[in-house]
Amino acid sequence: MNVLPYLIIVPLFGAFALPMVGLAGKKARELWAVLITAITLGVAAELFYTVWKGGEIIVYTLGAESPLGQGVPFPIRIVWEVDLLAALFILMVAFVAFVAVLYSTEYMSHDTGLEKYYALILLLEVGMLGIAMTGDLFNFYVFMEIMSIAGYALVAFRNDTWEGIEAGIKYMFVGSIASSFILLGIVLLYGQYGTLTMAYLAKMIAENPTFTAKVALGLLIGGLLFKSGAVPVHMWLADAHPAAPSSISAMLSGLVIKIGGTYALARMAFSVFSTGIDTKTVGWIIILFACVTLIVGNAMAVIQTDMKRLFAFSSVGQIGYILLGTGIGLAAYGSDVGNIALAGAIYHTVNHAVIKALLFLVAGAVIHQLGTKNLNELSGIARKMPVTSFAFLIGAAAIIGLPPMNGFASKWLIYESSALFNPLVAVIAVIGTAFSLAAYIRVLFTFLGRPSERVMDAREPGKAMLVPMLLLVAVIIVMGLFPWFISDRIMIPAAKMLENAGAYITAVLGGA
Amino acid sequence: MNRTFGALALLFLLGVLLVVASPSTGIKFGLGGDEWMKYRYTDQYYIEHGVEEVGGTNIVTNIVFDYRGYDTLGEATVLFTAIAGAVALLRPWRRDEDEE
Repeated sequence: MNVLPYLIIVPLFGAFALPMVGLAGKKARELWAVLITAITLGVAAELFYTVWKGGEIIVYTLGAESPLGQGVPFPIRIVWEVDLLAALFILMVAFVAFVAVLYSTEYMSHDTGLEKYYALILLLEVGMLGIAMTGDLFNFYVFMEIMSIAGYALVAFRNDTWEGIEAGIKYMFVGSIASSFILLGIVLLYGQYGTLTMAYLAKMIAENPTFTAKVALGLLIGGLLFKSGAVPVHMWLADAHPAAPSSISAMLSGLVIKIGGTYALARMAFSVFSTGIDTKTVGWIIILFACVTLIVGNAMAVIQTDMKRLFAFSSVGQIGYILLGTGIGLAAYGSDVGNIALAGAIYHTVNHAVIKALLFLVAGAVIHQLGTKNLNELSGIARKMPVTSFAFLIGAAAIIGLPPMNGFASKWLIYESSALFNPLVAVIAVIGTAFSLAAYIRVLFTFLGRPSERVMDAREPGKAMLVPMLLLVAVIIVMGLFPWFISDRIMIPAAKMLENAGAYITAVLGGA
Repeated sequence: MNRTFGALALLFLLGVLLVVASPSTGIKFGLGGDEWMKYRYTDQYYIEHGVEEVGGTNIVTNIVFDYRGYDTLGEATVLFTAIAGAVALLRPWRRDEDEE
């Protein structure tokens, strides 16, 4: 049985049914949301297992057996195309979304309008899953809009706080402009090549690389760098993450900036454009942005006094590593160095999704229990909230890249490949990590310090908040125990599959 | 200084798009004859096969509800999301409810 359609059907049905389920009461809608995300996680795990075992690209045509029309060599319908990279990211999305929804059941208990909240969070998940699995350019845009609009509403969800509304407006204005850049790029590509299917478009671009294609790529890269929060355009992120509810920050930072940003960028650059353009130039452009992002993001994290803002800037910095891996993968296309860099970028995406989700959930627990996220008021939490502090310790160690945690292996792959590629880039990567280390050590000392007055009557949060955190801690530790196994068996094959644009094209066109 | 830079960037982008929109260097307008088949082959397919494959005589609805029906589902979802978002953000503040 092909489980692929249920990946969209289940969460979409869950979201559309929520207004009605919500009538049954508060408990019912929480249970419904948890159930729906749990089923989605099950479907995603099944899909990942199928793709991983089978080792080939799954193609699914909506509405017909074959994507090609009768008697013509080009696709006329929308296709889904799931390779190992997409399957991996689908699993990551489903897992973090499940954890965030479970966490919300207690974390959001003081808020109103929760049936809309759960509907929006399910729609956010639908949008991200749709982006990861689609093989159609306009369909990608539609699902990116679903994800973005749900994102804008969720960032501003606490409408009685001034920062929520401000961040929501900022995110919406900037995000809409970025979306229209992407749409403009898609329009140009359609006007020039007459098709919207990514695989066929890749073939057309390879046959006839035009100036229009380059301009379209430029517009797409510009829009997607916006969405991923790379440095010249990271300001929305630094406001959106602190203002959003923490369960949403976890999804924004862990998933949205990666699926709508770096994943889409890698998909466009490798699967669609790599056969027709000079990958070296594009690679160097991305590396340039990556280096600036690394330094600025991590350096800004050091000077923050707001805990969630610190994590937000740290997310910007980590996006730098992912972009660096992707950029080197493009610039050294086809070589071993490029392959390892790309594998490192994919690995780091998954790792950072888990780690940053954990860190934001920890920040949420602290805010929920103490009502402040100012680091200067938070000293000595470790005495009163030991489990939360332990989760933070694991998350901080993992994000810096200490060896027993999962962050080590992925960063190592990126360091190693960047050192082989260009030593200067490696130096920049290490400087970025030094800043990141400083930022997290500072928070750690705050947690471990002498308990301040404010902290004295703090307690641990309830089970519904602790279990998601411990789940993420368990994933971090387990992934940290088998780093090279994971990288050899999953990440390097995923990188190879992404680099092999020919296989991506023939999967849809059937060898034509 | 930022504003000047932004204006210059917009000007540059406009120039590039004008080059793209000129028929000799980029996208062609008013396609016909051979060029129609070269650039709009999918449209030709929808026109030729739409009636027999889908059954409707309106090609646009054939496309948006059959060939690309999934996009329409996505657009409906976008609307649902926008409404859910607007309703969620326009709900009364928490403080007001406590007073009631």
